[in-house]
Amino acid sequence: MSQSGPQVADAPATGTPSRTSGPTPPDPTTPGTLARVRGLIGGGGPAVALVVLIAFFSIATPNFFSVSNASSLLSQLSILLVISIGLTFVILLGSLDLSVEGVMASSSLVFVLLASNDRNDLSLGFIALIAGVLTGSLFGLLNGVLHVYLRVPSFMVTLGTGAIGVGLATVLFGGRAPRLMDDGLRGLGFGNFGIFPKLALIAILVLVVALLVQKFTRVGRYGYAIGGDEPVVRLSGVNVERYKVLSFVLAGTGSGIAGVMAAMQLGVGDVSIGAGFQFTAITAVVLGGTALVGGIGGVGKTLVGAAIITVLANGLILLGVNPYVQISVQGLVIVVAVVATGWSLRKRVRAIK
Amino acid sequence: MAILTPTRPRQAAASGVTVKDRIIAVFPLLVLIVLVLLVLTQQPNFLSLASVRGLLESMAPILLLAIGQTFVILTGGIDLSFAVVSSLSTVLLALWLPDMGVGALILVPILACLTGVLTGTVVAFAQIPSFIVSLGAMGLWTGVALTLSSASTIRISANYDVIGWVTDMRIAGLPVSALLAILLAILISVAIRVLNRGRALHTMGLAENALLMSGNPTRAYRILAFALCGLFSGLAGVVLASSQYSGGPSLGDTLMLPAIAAVVIGGNAITGGVGGPLKTLVGALIIVVLRVGLNAIGIDPAYEQIIYGAVIIGAVVLTIDRSRLGIVK
Repeated sequence: MSQSGPQVADAPATGTPSRTSGPTPPDPTTPGTLARVRGLIGGGGPAVALVVLIAFFSIATPNFFSVSNASSLLSQLSILLVISIGLTFVILLGSLDLSVEGVMASSSLVFVLLASNDRNDLSLGFIALIAGVLTGSLFGLLNGVLHVYLRVPSFMVTLGTGAIGVGLATVLFGGRAPRLMDDGLRGLGFGNFGIFPKLALIAILVLVVALLVQKFTRVGRYGYAIGGDEPVVRLSGVNVERYKVLSFVLAGTGSGIAGVMAAMQLGVGDVSIGAGFQFTAITAVVLGGTALVGGIGGVGKTLVGAAIITVLANGLILLGVNPYVQISVQGLVIVVAVVATGWSLRKRVRAIK
Repeated sequence: MAILTPTRPRQAAASGVTVKDRIIAVFPLLVLIVLVLLVLTQQPNFLSLASVRGLLESMAPILLLAIGQTFVILTGGIDLSFAVVSSLSTVLLALWLPDMGVGALILVPILACLTGVLTGTVVAFAQIPSFIVSLGAMGLWTGVALTLSSASTIRISANYDVIGWVTDMRIAGLPVSALLAILLAILISVAIRVLNRGRALHTMGLAENALLMSGNPTRAYRILAFALCGLFSGLAGVVLASSQYSGGPSLGDTLMLPAIAAVVIGGNAITGGVGGPLKTLVGALIIVVLRVGLNAIGIDPAYEQIIYGAVIIGAVVLTIDRSRLGIVK
């Protein structure tokens, strides 16, 4: 008691003067910029891993740390980031969206076939772009409604709708990839703006919007609560169904934007335009620190996860490592991450399907 | 004393089988018969020997994959890596057959079985949903298959005879691969009925806690289900490699959706506990007849994927047992 007394009396005495002069100490009520960034992207693990990886590849390969490679890293990151951001909203619920590749295929073809192309005479300009993105949103809506109102597990629904997306794209594709002839539209995502790839600018825009949605809208805020403890949220009178469906719409929209971006980058609409992205995107979200059980994570963390995957893929190729090994590593990462986060939740009697 | 599984089992005990269960049990068979009749009106020679042979040949790998998946779905889980494991098996066969001969034919299904043991062990001991673990396994084995094959198709350069009989041999004019697969489905159904612990996997799906509390090794049962799934994926790989004269890192991947569709449209509930290999057989027949039938009525094969997707969602919506689902994620 005699020791704690002076300390309590001391604290304001040393605290007050330093607040008026010089650098302000971290204040518990209003977190500093650093703390805010850390809250957003998740401190520790993933962020440190990213820095270590960048440092390692910069030393290990001569070409990694250069302006041209940074530019190609950014454009590689862009599409993956947009998909992963969308997925984050669904994974926060504890659900999963396996329809990414099918949705990307459909939206890329809808976009290209409605814009000026070498298949038909349509040239709807921006409407084509919006239609491409909306294709993704509609798939998301379908996923959400089927999952929430018919109470079918999300991975099963999205496995089915993903196949429907691939099928729809195959029908639209018709044997030969339609080329995007509208240079104005293609120019939105193709090439560089200064040293910045234009795709990266789109991805940054999506990231900012997603951060705002996550922070300031009901679908963003309730997503955490639903993933954390759905019955409690339901008991507090929240329309859980609506916000779950909206989360799936956000994920579908992300895949839709990604499909349009990929079509801009490649100049064609293609059935296999999203090939490989499904898996990488889930790994990116999980690596960033969003838990597959739901309730923990966020869009900012996903940025770090997607950056790690991109740096790793790029750096390992520069080192000459077989790219197929990376798919295996991603598979292991998903399992290890989930085992690690769920290990303490194990119980003696628990039925997990 | 806590009541472990409140409403359903008591209902079932009182009234035997519910009307809904009866309809679900007969429905797939009706669908199959209607489909066959529909196709017959378009293609009168649909049930000719040559046509049936082609039908069964394309069904064999799908049926094997689907039977394997049935074990896991009976426990209420799912193994998304099964098609990839069959692809990996074709690669291993193509790599090893020239040197090892019959040894490869024995070793590959065993290794495929071990992939299932691995997935099952992680699911059982870390208590993680099986779709996540098997999704990770899917990536792992895709990478291994691509690395081993350098992402290209490998022709079987020697000792093809060791697996060639699977495709070439005919009994009463019908392909032996499909006949063996059907025979396996029947044998397993008999085993489920006759064996003492035959319905252990069904009970896993219906009331795992009850099974555990009555002293059964539920973890071992779960691992067994995944191991059998891996084994059957390996067998499907043998059939695929035999019919293609080669191994390829994505040879079996396209069979994932038809195989899952076969399991669910046959009437196996993905919530577990309801179903069996015979239901899966009916489901697999529906899928292949559907495929041929679409061709017969002149529908572009491009629509196939859309139909698989719709079939999977539709069948799951119909067969899922919502009374046993808490929060659906």
